[in-house]
Amino acid sequence: MTTELTHTAKNGNAPAPHPPVERLVFTPPIDIYETDAGLILRADLPGVSLDTLDLQVQDNKLTLFGRMQPSVPDNARLLHQEYETGDFLRSFILSDEVDHQHIAAKLNNGVLEVVLPKADKPEPRRIPVQTS
Amino acid sequence: MALFRWGHSWDAFHDLEREVDRLLQSVNLSFQGLRFGRQYPPVNLYELPTEYLITAELPGVNSEELELTIANGVLSMTGRHASPEGTTEERYRRQERPRGVWQRSISLPDRVRSDNLSAEFVNGILKIHLPKAEEVKPRQIPVAFGT
Repeated sequence: MTTELTHTAKNGNAPAPHPPVERLVFTPPIDIYETDAGLILRADLPGVSLDTLDLQVQDNKLTLFGRMQPSVPDNARLLHQEYETGDFLRSFILSDEVDHQHIAAKLNNGVLEVVLPKADKPEPRRIPVQTS
Repeated sequence: MALFRWGHSWDAFHDLEREVDRLLQSVNLSFQGLRFGRQYPPVNLYELPTEYLITAELPGVNSEELELTIANGVLSMTGRHASPEGTTEERYRRQERPRGVWQRSISLPDRVRSDNLSAEFVNGILKIHLPKAEEVKPRQIPVAFGT
């Protein structure tokens, strides 16, 4: 996991929003750190629940997409605003050192944790050479 | 009369402080899409017919370490962004999420019933319900017609 994809709103692989209403797309802040078993990725996704989170690995691209659930009733009048609701989107290119088949993830208190285990290096294989 | 004025000698600084506050407030600090580099959790304030509602984005904050207090119309929130134990600095490849202890204080817009607050913490969003005090609700005043 070395490269991060920069995306635009027209990212073709992102799940298309159902309502035609234009929604804001945010880049969530992330941490990536190494452990003995591999890499851990943590992303802040406040307001995103399991139902509105989509995590995909396609080829070697990991995409996370989360939709913030509205947390206030419709008749609430906004008096002061420091954050807006929208969608979270971020993509990464996974390197060969990640075992793509065993990626695990959990969502806890608005933080997504993705465990990217190290891939086992294939044993060197001896190729017998024959003389003709 | 210098002795009497001594107690007010800081007034000039208060004026300056007020001016700087006013200046900073006029600067629009909201960058769309940018969600990092914020050391303090962002807060929204809403009004409903019977209550005020404060929502705060607190992903990665342990609810046990979250402390809410209210005094003199000021609501204070203190908490800590949890970071993984025993992970040394050099093991990080990216570090964008906020870390450490934070505190926020919010002046409440009107009288609220501070004995009747409730809060919930779901998916990293803290919601504080502040019921309005009775006297804040509009009250009909009957008008008697004299003859």
